[in-house]
Formats: sequence, structure tokens, C-alpha cells
Amino acid sequence: MKKLWLRHEMILLVVLVLEILLFNAIGRRFLTADNVANIVRQSVEIGLLALVMTPVILTGGIDLSVGSLLGLCAVTFGMLWGELHWPPWVAATGAVGVGAMGGCVNAALITRLRLPPLIVTLGTFSLFRGLAEALTSGTKAYTNFPASFLALGNSFFLGVPVQAWVFVVVAVAVWLLVHRTTAGRAFRAIGFAPEGARFAGLPVERRIAQAYVLAGAVAGLAAVIFVSRVTEARANAGIGYELAAITAVVLGGTSIFGGVGSVHGTLLGVAAVAVLGNGLSRILSITAFSRELSGILTGALLIVALAAGTLLRRAPGAKGRGRSG
Amino acid sequence: MPDLLRATQLTKSFGAVRALRGVSFDLRAGEVHALLGENGAGKSTLIKVITGAHAPDSGSLEVGGKTVNHFNPREAHRRGIACIYQQPALFPDLSVAENIALRLETPRAWRRVRSASRIARARELLTRIGADIEPRREVRYLSMPEQQLVEIACAIGSGARVVIMDEPTASLTQNEQHLLFAVVRDLRASGVGVIYISHRLEEIFALADRVTVLRDGESVGTNALDSMNESSLIAMMVGREVSHTFPTAEGAPGDVALSLHELGCSASGVHGVSLDVRAGEIVGLAGLVGAGRTELARVLFGLTPADRGEILLNGERVVVADPRTAIAHGVAYVPEDRRRHGVILEMPIAQNMSMAIHGLIFPGGWLRVAAELRLADEFIASLDIKAAGPGAPGASLSGGNQQKVSVARWLATKPRVLILDEPTQGVDVGAKSEIHRIIRQLAQDGLAVLMISSDLPEVLGMSDRIAVMRGGTITTLLDGKPDAHTVMAAALGKEAA
Repeated sequence: MKKLWLRHEMILLVVLVLEILLFNAIGRRFLTADNVANIVRQSVEIGLLALVMTPVILTGGIDLSVGSLLGLCAVTFGMLWGELHWPPWVAATGAVGVGAMGGCVNAALITRLRLPPLIVTLGTFSLFRGLAEALTSGTKAYTNFPASFLALGNSFFLGVPVQAWVFVVVAVAVWLLVHRTTAGRAFRAIGFAPEGARFAGLPVERRIAQAYVLAGAVAGLAAVIFVSRVTEARANAGIGYELAAITAVVLGGTSIFGGVGSVHGTLLGVAAVAVLGNGLSRILSITAFSRELSGILTGALLIVALAAGTLLRRAPGAKGRGRSG
Repeated sequence: MPDLLRATQLTKSFGAVRALRGVSFDLRAGEVHALLGENGAGKSTLIKVITGAHAPDSGSLEVGGKTVNHFNPREAHRRGIACIYQQPALFPDLSVAENIALRLETPRAWRRVRSASRIARARELLTRIGADIEPRREVRYLSMPEQQLVEIACAIGSGARVVIMDEPTASLTQNEQHLLFAVVRDLRASGVGVIYISHRLEEIFALADRVTVLRDGESVGTNALDSMNESSLIAMMVGREVSHTFPTAEGAPGDVALSLHELGCSASGVHGVSLDVRAGEIVGLAGLVGAGRTELARVLFGLTPADRGEILLNGERVVVADPRTAIAHGVAYVPEDRRRHGVILEMPIAQNMSMAIHGLIFPGGWLRVAAELRLADEFIASLDIKAAGPGAPGASLSGGNQQKVSVARWLATKPRVLILDEPTQGVDVGAKSEIHRIIRQLAQDGLAVLMISSDLPEVLGMSDRIAVMRGGTITTLLDGKPDAHTVMAAALGKEAA
């Protein structure tokens, strides 16, 4: 066991606390109930994608298609409701189903044809977005959803934004899956040594497929929450979310090579990025500029946090000077 | 003549582990000095100090009469130390000449590359060691021994005075070994000092002038090999006389547990294999490398499923479509490459041991850490696995102990048929006889054991019967205790004299 202080999660927790202290000291109305709810609302969809990206990356894979799939599911949801007049909650189930099917496409290409996940999901990244645009001719947006549905993205339940409850349920479920089940164990084994996992009789293909299908289904769920929050469904929903989710996962200490990582690390990663973005917008009055600065600082945070972790872990061994290789 | 290299009272600790506890060692010009010791005795640490990968905690190292103060690989290289590893570290997509040039030329940006002179020098170096290798060929088309020869050429080209060879013959055939030995003798004749690490005693007696034995981080002694024989050398290594006798079978084997009829798999070149293995019996699978032994094991374990013939387990016809069905039918396979296939090095040994029985000890798919630790503790005790604990990662164990973890994983499945692929490869002498004892005990407990081994004494000593494979099928079945000559003749496809 690594010492607690050297664990990546610990560094990230310190960063997160520093962020909060800093923004609270110099920002305007940062730690208010309103603003905290704001942060939560704005990070739930990316947070959901990051949660289910974690098992995918643990297996040594990657899913670049979840942002596009979110867009496709949002459009599907809009159509099921607007064109076929399904009730919103049935249409939501449909959106999750479409997400799962999108995940199945990724899973089939990766496990049956043995194509690299990066290539497969780069392909479906374009494919899903293209489909979403084709379905709406690129411009059509579905709006005027009933207030009961919009409550999901804009109301409170027990003093907490409604979608935060959904997030908590998914977070607990994914945490249990990764840290307390044989499936989670298999994800790691596959990430460390896919051949070794096969020789141990683990159902390698099935577990990999499950990770991608889960990612797809939750992308569908995130799409429903997204539509409810912004009150419209259109093809450009979730552009760039896949990279934001991967950033949060990697920032959370999950190795891009697979095997190493944790769901709580991912949660801290999501929080650190969300607080940074929001805090900057509170300091800088010109919001357009704060968006760009937030991009720069998120990138810097990612690199600094990973570098700090590597350097800290190396420090005790480095005393002996000798570094092999 | 002064010593090429002299290490005095070197110590080195990693955390609580004292890898070297005051080791002294010297290498003369023009000698082959064998370095022997069980896994974990401190050989690799000593080599890493000499090659500059580790700095010692105390003690001194002199190279060519000068004391080394800065331990780093470049410094060692500058002082004329070259190391040839078991797995050559060449760039597979570059040509032989380019690989040699990368090692020998000082890296400088914006320098013209002179291909012709690179090729000429590579050819000159390769000729000097009697290697018939075309410098323009890409390294990935070379065989393992050819790659080792390229490494040696690099070492000579860099003017190395000290050449370290770490188990260079591990993957070589007999002929290739003879070629390598000739090169080593040439090196010696030209005044180079060779540090030679190997587990194969016969090689050491054939090649080395002196031997230093390490045990538990200490030097047991340095002797001229003229004054030693095999058993005194082994005694030095393990600190006790090891019986060279193999454990013997007691009682008659039981019913046929595994029966193969005309089994074949066109994808892996296995064809027409018929064989019975009884419960309580060890059947040795002998043959040359490439005869199809590992391929047959992979067919039986469902990694490359059979497409012809049938497999009967306890008289019942079964279809083994993948490893999971194999496990369900009670077939276990301890693979040859334990670092890639046998153990997941990054994971704790407890998790490695439970990996093939997730369905059994984790009902409903929920991990039960207590049950897993209990399983690990049992095997750590019963197989006498040397590890910091059940949470120690596989990578922290020595080769022999990793092999025991791999065996434990498969014993946990309570198999009826156990297939072992090179169970003692790269394992030190002490652990080897221990693994032999475990295998015999398992057979005694009623397992049908199919043991693939390229170690002829092991096949002869352990097996109740020997099946010899050649060209993807079993060509000869030998009952009783055949001699080495008969088995080797069968493997080569010749009539026994």
C-alpha cells in the first residue's frame, strides 16, 4: 500500500480545497447556495460521462464517442417526444436505449473485429454526431417540454438540484461495480494484461463489451438531463464533452494505459475541473474571456497534478540517485 | 595483470530488503567468471551496480584500477562495461547496421548519416565474432540468437573490456549455444573479462574459469571450476546438499481422466493427437521447440479450440470452446510465459490466485476480500510461497515464487487435469526441486498431470510415461523409464540405436 499522502487522490483533494479557498477569498458570491447549485448543474452531465469512462479506461480502452452519442440521444429524445408524442419519461427510456445501442456498436467493433478502441470510437464520434445532425437537418430543435420534465434539470429536491440525485445513484452504482465486484476486478486485470486475463479464464470480451455498453447507456441518461437543463433538444448537444470527461478521469488518477484508477478519483477530478471553471467566471467579469482562461487553466491543472503525483512518488526512491534505464 | 573490475564489500538495501550485504567480487582480464545463485540471491542487484543502474549504499567499485564515484549507465558504458540481456534490447524496425550505429556513435544533432560507413563497420564487427548476418537486414527478421550476436558486436565495437551476459542461452537451441560459446571463448582469448550468469550448470562447467556463488546477498565464495563438481557447486548455492533424485510415484494410477482421439486444430498445426492420461499419473510431453507441445496445451485449454477429433474427460465427450469451458470441465493450464500469461504482475498475489475461480468464491459477483485472503494464506502456507504477504504484487516475487502463485491459481479451481508448460523454466535449483515435489504430490492426490518440458532430466525424472511430439502430433509413446538417448532420438525423428 502506498502512503496516504503520496496517493494521487490526496493531492487532488488538496488542489480542490485550495481552489475553493482561493475563489471564496477573491471571487464574488462563490460559496452561496445558488452558485453551488450552479456548479452541480453544470457538471452533472460531464460527471456522468466521466463516471462511466472510468471502467472503459481501466480496461485500457477509450471512448471518444460519448459526447456525440449524447447529442444523438438528445435528438432521439426530442423526436420521440415531439414527433411520436411519447410521454417524456418513456422517451427518456428510449434515449437511454439508443445510448446502449450506440455502446453496442462500439463494443461489437472492438471485441468482434478486434479494432483498437481509439479508432473505433473516433469513427463513431463522427458517425453519431452526423446521424444527430441528419435527423434534425442540422438546425431543428425540439422545445416547449412540459414543466414536469424540465424540473429534472432546473428544480431542487430536498434542497439539492434534482439531477444531483441521479448523479449520486449512478456514482454509487459505478463505484460498487468498479471496486466491489468481479467485473471491476476483471476491468483492471484486462487493463494490466489482456492476454494474462484471457489465460486466467476471465471473460475478457464480455467485460470489455459491458464497459462500452454502460458508457453508451449513461450517455443517453446524460442526454436526457442535458435536454431538461437547457430546455431544448438539438444536434449540437454535448460537443466536446468526451474530452472533458477523459480529462476528469485522468486528472482523477486513472492511468490512460489501464489497470490503475478509482471512481472516487474521478469524482474529485470532476469537482476540481467544475470548481475551476465556475470560480474563474466569478472572478472575471468578462465571461467570454473566462471561458478561454478556464480552458488554459484546466489543461495546466491536468499536467501539474499528474506531474506532481509522479514527482512525489519518485522522491523517496530518487534519494539513491540511481535511476535505471 | 591488474583486475579489470574489483568490487569490495558492496551493500545495497531497498527499503527493508538487504539485497547486497557486503559482496566482494573481482574479474580478471581474459577469464569467464560465472555468477551463480538462487533467484533473489543478489545477482541482478550486483549487476545493476556494476552497470551503473544502482548506486551502492557502501563499499567500493574499481574498474580498470580506478574507483567509480558516479553510478550511472553512461559512465559505466564509458568505462568499457557492456551488458547483454536475456531479451536483446534492439530496435526491431531498424537495420542491424543502424542499431549498432545507435549504440556506438555519439548522439549529435544535425550530423550527416553515412550509411555506407555504418554498414561497413557493422559488417566488420559481425565478421570479427564470426556471425553471418547481413547488416542491412531489419532486426525483426533476425532470430533471438542472431540478435544476441548483434548485441555482442555492439559490446565489442564499443571497446568493452567487461562483458556481462545474463542467461544468454535461455532461448537458444543446441547449435546456437555452440556458436555463442565459441564467441565467448574468442572474447576471452582477446583479453575481455566475461561475467556469465546462468542456471545451467553444464554450461558453466563447459565455459567458465572461476565461479562466484551468491546466497542471500552475500558471497559464499569464489572458486576455480577445476576444483569443483556439480554437487559441490549446488551445495554452495543452496547451502545444503540437494538430492538430485526426483520424487517417485507410489501406487498405481487410477482411471483414465483425459482421453484424446485424433485431436486436431488446423489453426495451430496440431493434428491426429491420441493420448490417454490417467488420474494420478504424470505424462511428460517431450519434443523440440516448435514440435507443437504448447500448441496442443492451448487446444486442450480452449485458447485455440480443436476443430477435429474429440476430447473425453472421465469418459465423457466434452467440447472445449474457450478457457472458461475448460475450467468448468476441470482442465487447468499453467502457461509457459509466467510473466505475460501466468501472473498479472501488477496485481496482488491474492487477486492472482482467485482469478480463475471468481464464480466460486465470489457468489453473485460481489468481492469477498476475507475469503480471498483466506485462500491466499492457505496457498502461501501449503506451497511455501515467499512473499511479503497476500497483498504483495506479483512483480515483487522471485521467478520460482511467481510460478507457485500461477500453480496456486489453478489448484484453486480443483482441477482433474493439470497441464504444466515448462514449470521450472528460469527457476533456481532450490525452487525447482520444490516444484517437482509439489507436482508429484498433486499427482499422488489424484490429478492427471500433463507436463511439457524441454529440460530432459526433468522429463525423464518426473514422468511416469513420456509422449514425444514432432511436427504437431505425438509420434512416440514411451512407457517405463526410457533413457535420454531414446527420447532425444524420438524428438529428432530418428530410430533409437
